[in-house]
Amino acid sequence: MDGNLEISLDKLPVKRLDAIEENGAERYPPDSSYDEKRVSLIRRIDFAWAVEDDEERERKKKQKKSSKDASATWQWQSMVENLQLAHQELSVIIDLINTVEANDAVTVAGLTRPKPLPNEVLSDLAVSAATKLQCYRQLGKYFKQSSNSFEEQIAREARFYGALIRLQQNWKVKRQRVAAASSSNEGFTIDLFDNSLYDSAAMCRPSSLSTIRVEHDSAGMLAINLPPNSCRSLHFGFLGVHSSDIPKDLSKIRTHDSVEQRTRESEKESKSDDDYVKETHTLLREVHQSIFDDQVFEMLNREAFKQSVGVNVTGIRENYLQLSIGQGNTLFISLVPSNKGDNQDSADTQNLESAIVPLQSFDTEKKWGFPNRTSCEIYLQQIVHENAFVNEKDKPNLSSTQASGQSGKDEPGLLGHFCLSLAHRIFSNRVLMELENVVCRVPYLHLMTHPTWHSRTSSWTIFMKVPQSILHAESQSLKSDFQNLKDAIKSQFRTKVVVNDDRINVEGEGAPNVVGLFKRSSENTCSVNKYECDLADLPVIILLQVASQVICWLHEEALTVGIKTNRDFLCLTFELEQGETVSLVAHVNPEDIKGGISWWLVMEDGFAEDWKLQMDMHDGASEYRKFLGHLTLDVLYSSLMDLVSLCGGGRNH
Amino acid sequence: MNKGTGVGTGPTAAAAAVAAQKQKTMMQRVETDIANIVDNFTQLVNVARVNEPPVRNSQETFMMEMRAARMVQAADSLLKLVSELKQTAIFSGFASLNDHVEQRTNEFNQQAEKTDRMLARIGEEAAASLKELESHYYSSAQRTADTE
Repeated sequence: MDGNLEISLDKLPVKRLDAIEENGAERYPPDSSYDEKRVSLIRRIDFAWAVEDDEERERKKKQKKSSKDASATWQWQSMVENLQLAHQELSVIIDLINTVEANDAVTVAGLTRPKPLPNEVLSDLAVSAATKLQCYRQLGKYFKQSSNSFEEQIAREARFYGALIRLQQNWKVKRQRVAAASSSNEGFTIDLFDNSLYDSAAMCRPSSLSTIRVEHDSAGMLAINLPPNSCRSLHFGFLGVHSSDIPKDLSKIRTHDSVEQRTRESEKESKSDDDYVKETHTLLREVHQSIFDDQVFEMLNREAFKQSVGVNVTGIRENYLQLSIGQGNTLFISLVPSNKGDNQDSADTQNLESAIVPLQSFDTEKKWGFPNRTSCEIYLQQIVHENAFVNEKDKPNLSSTQASGQSGKDEPGLLGHFCLSLAHRIFSNRVLMELENVVCRVPYLHLMTHPTWHSRTSSWTIFMKVPQSILHAESQSLKSDFQNLKDAIKSQFRTKVVVNDDRINVEGEGAPNVVGLFKRSSENTCSVNKYECDLADLPVIILLQVASQVICWLHEEALTVGIKTNRDFLCLTFELEQGETVSLVAHVNPEDIKGGISWWLVMEDGFAEDWKLQMDMHDGASEYRKFLGHLTLDVLYSSLMDLVSLCGGGRNH
Repeated sequence: MNKGTGVGTGPTAAAAAVAAQKQKTMMQRVETDIANIVDNFTQLVNVARVNEPPVRNSQETFMMEMRAARMVQAADSLLKLVSELKQTAIFSGFASLNDHVEQRTNEFNQQAEKTDRMLARIGEEAAASLKELESHYYSSAQRTADTE
């Protein structure tokens, strides 16, 4: 070995920190593999001795070469030679490395760095400075990018929270802590369930729609995404009627939903945030209404299963309830999805309805008598809303809407009340038609409707105004005090018709009291009496009542002029001399289109006590009847005066 | 830290203590983040000097990147804090929420009453019109002429 002992120092094999990441984890340089360790050792080999030998050899060769062709020097020659020398050195090193790799017995002792030239120093410095500057520039870009994204994020959040605050003014917004990794939203939901409805035992199932998630859409704005056929609405109708209206109405009902979603997707950018929030409000309101309709239907279903007055279930299916309300009328209540895209269901419903055989004939009159479908829907929703939102107030409405005739045990529930109201409405329309028919035919009758503001009672009054006689116009101006008003002749007669559910009550004055007839007193002969009747008999009853009122009036008029007449139910009899009687007889015929009441004049002689037998005789010797026709009250009055003068003239003789 | 629908600042001592604790925690977070940002920025600026061995420069490059990322992270956490505060303001501002709800309730009640009154009025007017029209119709010359 030579005299100089060369020592090389290694770094301690301690792990030094490389970098720290954002989450605080520390990064160490990776452990070098075996190969890398070998390569690093090789790098430490000192090839100075080999390089010097090589350089000497090359110099000698170069001297030989240059002595050979000294004339052909080239300006790049030195550079070429330097490059060749460098190439040789590198090839030596590479060979040595390969040898070392193969043998693994040589270690690198040391390596000294060549001393850098000043321009090299400066260029290194320049490169470092430029690198650093580049690094800072990149940092700057990074910061700018981050700030832009932060600003965007803030803007998005501002929009989102602004919209959420506005929604919160009308809706209940709840927040749930969701695991951060699972969703991009913060777990906001809108709770549409109204727990003030009903008693808690009955209605405890919130619909699946009642909690709506608030999500972010692509622009960061809040979005509410509903499944397509989730909203349902209540649909009401009469079987056999309105069947042609159904597709129209269904397509009208609540197409806003799908239309809104489409416009929202396509014109999102052009709409302002205000419009968007308004649309969301509308959407939430529709869902809210749909939940209410669901609850109404469920309540009706529950009521339908209870035995109660007025409820007669004839068909039940999923989301469909069919009830019979008497007199051959059937109604149905169903829940239909309120989106336009669900035409199949609506077609099914329509097929169902037309497939069911209706019990009544399709009279146009009966169709006209049905109440408006939409108003029935609204009425149903309103009574459920009023009567089912309990707890703070008692239920006054239900008890007050009961008919007076029903006992406490047979109280109809809501559904029963609804069915009874509809049945009453249909029935009272028919009653009104009959009354109008009657009144139209008799010119001196007036019909007056009295709104009862009660869903199961209707009331009308039929007026008959009688003309004032001349005598009494004077006398009534004298008799002005209340005492004498009783004695004054009535100027109008009334017949009151009241319908409770499906019972008709007729109350009128003019028909003679049976007791009064026996007593033969003129005082209580015109009294008020009331009786029930059914629809078929109503025209006849009314006409009889009116005719008897006319007779009563004529009787009073005759009495005031001093002529005594006998009054029977529909007949006013005057006595002439020699026992002859002349009678004014009213004939009632509801089928008569010219008028309901016609008049006959019947003359009899006094010997025929039992005038019925006389009717069998064909010769008109003892009886004479003349048909007077449909007379107005003025004409009747003048006929009466003629008869009176006939009687009076006879007496005077 | 924040509960679901927000605990109100009620009169109970427990709720007040929880709220105070929350506030303290938030302030700490704010301070931490801001200190973080300032510190990292200072270090960034300090490292601007160009050093002799280039390896130190690349070391410093790495360090600068790391500090810049830390700054951005701190800023992000500050922003999150702000949005948490916004959420709390939305959901826990009970006084204003209650006032607002009451106001809306009153508005709606008034509207309901107004609608009821209007409906009653419409009903009365309709009844009056019906009465008038009926009396006109039944005493009209048209009708009496028809029947004669």
